[in-house]
Amino acid sequence: MNQYQIDGKLKTVLLGMMGLGLLCLILTFAYDDALHTRFWSNYLHNAVFFTGIGFVSLFVMAAFTTAWAGWYTVVKRVFEAYSLFLIPGLILMLVVIVGMWGGLHHLYHWADDKAVAADPILQGKSSFLNKNWYTFGTLIIMGIWIFFANKLRTLSVEEDMSGTPDYNHHKRMRIWAAAFLPIGGFTSAAIVWQWVMSVDAHWYSTLYAWYATVSWFVSALALIILTIAYLKSKGYLEEVTVEHLHDLGKYLFAFSVFWAYLWFSQYMLIWYANIGEETVYFRERIDNYPVLFYGNLLLNFVLPFLILMRNDTKRKYGTLIFVSLVVLFGHWFDFFQMIKPGVLHTAHEALAHGAEEGAHHGHASAPIGFLIPGLLEIGTMLGFLGGFLYFVLNRLSKAALVPKNDPYLEESLHHHT
Amino acid sequence: MSAAVSPIREPLIQGSKTYHQITEDICSPTERTPSMTWIIAFMVASAGLALYVFCLAWTIWVGIGSWNLNRTIGWGWDITNFVWWIGIGHAGTLISAILLLFRQRWRTGVNRAAEAMTIFAVMCAGQFPLIHMGRLWLGFFIFPYPNTRGPLWVNFNSPLLWDVFAISTYFTVSLLFWYTGLVPDLATVRDRAKGLRRKIYNYMSFGWTGAAKHWQRFESLSLVLAGLSTPLVLSVHTIVSFDFATSVIPGWHTTIFPPYFVAGAIFSGFAMVQTLMVMTRKVLNLEQYVTLEHIESMNKVILLTGTIVGVAYLTELFVAWYSGYIYEQFAFYNRVMGPYWWSYVGMMSCNLLSPQIFWFKKIRRSVFWTFVMSIFVNIGMWFERFVIIGTTLARDYLPSSWSYYVPSWVEIGLFVGTLGLFFTLYLIFSRVAPVVAVAEVKQILKVAGDQYTGPNAHKAHHAKGAGVHH
Amino acid sequence: MFESANIHHTMANQSKEVLYGLYDDEQVLLQAVHKAKADHLDIMDVYTPFPVHGLDEAMGLSESRLHQVGFIFGAIGALTAFLFMTWVFTRDWPIIFGGKPYWSIPAFIPITFELTVLFSAIGMVVAYYTVCGLAPGVTNPTLDDRITDDKFCLAFQTNGASQQEIDKLKSFLSASGAEEINAKII
Repeated sequence: MNQYQIDGKLKTVLLGMMGLGLLCLILTFAYDDALHTRFWSNYLHNAVFFTGIGFVSLFVMAAFTTAWAGWYTVVKRVFEAYSLFLIPGLILMLVVIVGMWGGLHHLYHWADDKAVAADPILQGKSSFLNKNWYTFGTLIIMGIWIFFANKLRTLSVEEDMSGTPDYNHHKRMRIWAAAFLPIGGFTSAAIVWQWVMSVDAHWYSTLYAWYATVSWFVSALALIILTIAYLKSKGYLEEVTVEHLHDLGKYLFAFSVFWAYLWFSQYMLIWYANIGEETVYFRERIDNYPVLFYGNLLLNFVLPFLILMRNDTKRKYGTLIFVSLVVLFGHWFDFFQMIKPGVLHTAHEALAHGAEEGAHHGHASAPIGFLIPGLLEIGTMLGFLGGFLYFVLNRLSKAALVPKNDPYLEESLHHHT
Repeated sequence: MSAAVSPIREPLIQGSKTYHQITEDICSPTERTPSMTWIIAFMVASAGLALYVFCLAWTIWVGIGSWNLNRTIGWGWDITNFVWWIGIGHAGTLISAILLLFRQRWRTGVNRAAEAMTIFAVMCAGQFPLIHMGRLWLGFFIFPYPNTRGPLWVNFNSPLLWDVFAISTYFTVSLLFWYTGLVPDLATVRDRAKGLRRKIYNYMSFGWTGAAKHWQRFESLSLVLAGLSTPLVLSVHTIVSFDFATSVIPGWHTTIFPPYFVAGAIFSGFAMVQTLMVMTRKVLNLEQYVTLEHIESMNKVILLTGTIVGVAYLTELFVAWYSGYIYEQFAFYNRVMGPYWWSYVGMMSCNLLSPQIFWFKKIRRSVFWTFVMSIFVNIGMWFERFVIIGTTLARDYLPSSWSYYVPSWVEIGLFVGTLGLFFTLYLIFSRVAPVVAVAEVKQILKVAGDQYTGPNAHKAHHAKGAGVHH
Repeated sequence: MFESANIHHTMANQSKEVLYGLYDDEQVLLQAVHKAKADHLDIMDVYTPFPVHGLDEAMGLSESRLHQVGFIFGAIGALTAFLFMTWVFTRDWPIIFGGKPYWSIPAFIPITFELTVLFSAIGMVVAYYTVCGLAPGVTNPTLDDRITDDKFCLAFQTNGASQQEIDKLKSFLSASGAEEINAKII
């Protein structure tokens, strides 16, 4: 079974998830504050999270191709299908852009002309943080990503049909992949600053972009492991053995630790230097969002570290699926933690401004949906996840599950750790 | 290790070697009288070492006043050299640990020499913090031991003390890792030797027999040590970066420092490995073990890490502007346009721009360009540390204390002298132990030897009518 | 170290009679080991110039437990570092730095990590050399100098074996592809 087909039951489930997500979005919109802050921040959070998974899958695929990685050939098509999610990802982000131009949301402090006029710091940043840059930056950068994702996919599928003994397709893929690495490295940082870091428009951290990208990477790995486990349970991907699983598990372990390293580096340096402009970011989270702050560490470092430290847990579907679920949710939670407090703060200020009350948005505890993810957030996430999987599995069914003329195919088929 | 090898992988061992030839080729340099090249190199290196000893004695006798540090610029060439050397000392562990975990087979050609280099570089690095403390004979104060001063413990909250722990741990673990890998190879040398030489190598090889159980434990140990060394190697330069980044000095306090320092360390470490391997393979006739394929792979790592470092440089510049914080903005303006602008230009051109020529395969596989570039990168990474340390300190918060600094002859002598120390140790190593890991090369022979894989093997198979089976 | 040297000394006193075959190729050796196991021959040991993949399984060696040693020592290192710093800065000699609390966990992480790695690495390496009986100055008897070069050796102990049994082993070795068959007392 080298040709995947979405079965009817799964289709129903995924459509159901999407329906649930839509319903949750509508409900959120209906019972929201005047600026629809919860609705829009939920939308941005999920759009950024799943689009980022698409990007990082492309980036990692390019890195594996450049590093002559042989083992992953049998699961390569899953990475490919994931990278193609950048196309719907662009549409998701366009909605945010349209909302911004139409004044429909108040996600970004710097997008509010009145606020900028009264704020010298935002004025200083306005040649980067402005609606034009946000729009064209997103369009151009995601356009480049989509171009590379398509290029690599096209060559890979062509190789199936008309692969030659001199591996011409693979050699061309290698060039495109190598070229993408620096491009992806530079552009992803710019995108993270615009989409996510600028939610806290006054605050800055040089490490932030790398931190967010690694968070995406771990999410992508977890979701890829889950996808593979699902496909295997349906009898597909017989070529994927416990050895491949072990390698994926090692990546999940290693990059969970690496994520913790980046978290610690960012937190500790800001904590140690104790500069008010910087510490405000963590102070806000520790004081007002303790569940987000500590839960983030528990889900994304403590649990995967303790569970995956042993060798055998990386070789069993049960434990690996469990950890993948934990960190997938965990990194979704991490992005929630990155986005929500800043958005709520901006909304508070805007609302206070509108009501001419001055700045007395005291310190009442943040509501559910900001303080912690509520049921509506979970439902919305399931909706986006359903949409993501629907698209990705659909792409997966468009080509052979295991590439046919890949030069590393034999290595991957006889892979031993 | 999978037996199936992709047809597009290049062989890593050339010349259709047998196991015995591998032993012969790699061990024989330790058995011959040294060549003229080696003797000349050794004389030059020991002269450097002598210079080091002299400048060290001068520093101790006269005091730190013999350096040109001043009240504003308290860290100059000393700490620049320290960070430079410790960065170089990252490649060995990276090659032996991280590339082992990533199953990059080309590491076997260079890991032994790179690990040795790591240890020597860390030894050079360790000199500078000790000397610059001034009263070298009180150096043991940095260790927490029960003392008569209270006991007044060291400040465990200081990143400088974290450095003490990081570097001594790194040195110890690297040494254990390196020597454990060396033991079977020393046994190989032992079993070829006679008389006193055999006694000496017998002592050094710990009574190794090659028993199956020992090999099994050996492999298990190597794997776990690799797993430990990987976060360790990251932590060392991370902690070095904390020396700067925990402060409130603009240009130093920035969160990207830890991963950016690590990338820079790998970058400079690989450059030094290239410098050494290009010479070693030539002098010891090891071109068939350290092939162009190895050199190309390392050049790719240099290109990659150079570009990562470049992303970090530009991120820093951008965020300095973005921060809207005038002191941060000034710090970076000062780096580019201030009195030390030339070191910034040197850093950017050697680290970010010039490695980009490695996009061309021809240049990646050219020994000449590899050597030139490796020197460039070594220089560029020295400049990077000087930019961070010297430039930043020269312009602090108080314009009245702005200053300029040029090193005295003693400081220059100490730096040149550590190069002498480094090369002296490396040259001795190349005479005493096999510079390529013998057992590991034998282990990959059947998947990476050119009679088994690559274009020659395929031709040979065709000629025999056996067909290509991959 | 002394202990292992003593063990070696007593073993040398017993002097082993060994019959061994030298193979040129690790795959041939591996098959011979499989065959010896199938024939229920009692292998004394196998010596090779480099680790041969699959040999430990063929010989039925139990998995190495060195990583457990590493874990235990690592845990000791982590506790030592963290508890010691905690004691110094909360009980023995508290210091305020940068307006932080005495018990500043983030500042303890780097040293805790370093000592975890240091203890773990030293513990494992010492355990490794101890259980293998290897140490500076130890001389273990070897069967052939070429074992560290290009020969793969399968050895049987023949103390008290009848001539018939020895002949049987010899024919096994030559049938399984040994290039040379020798006897030696070590």
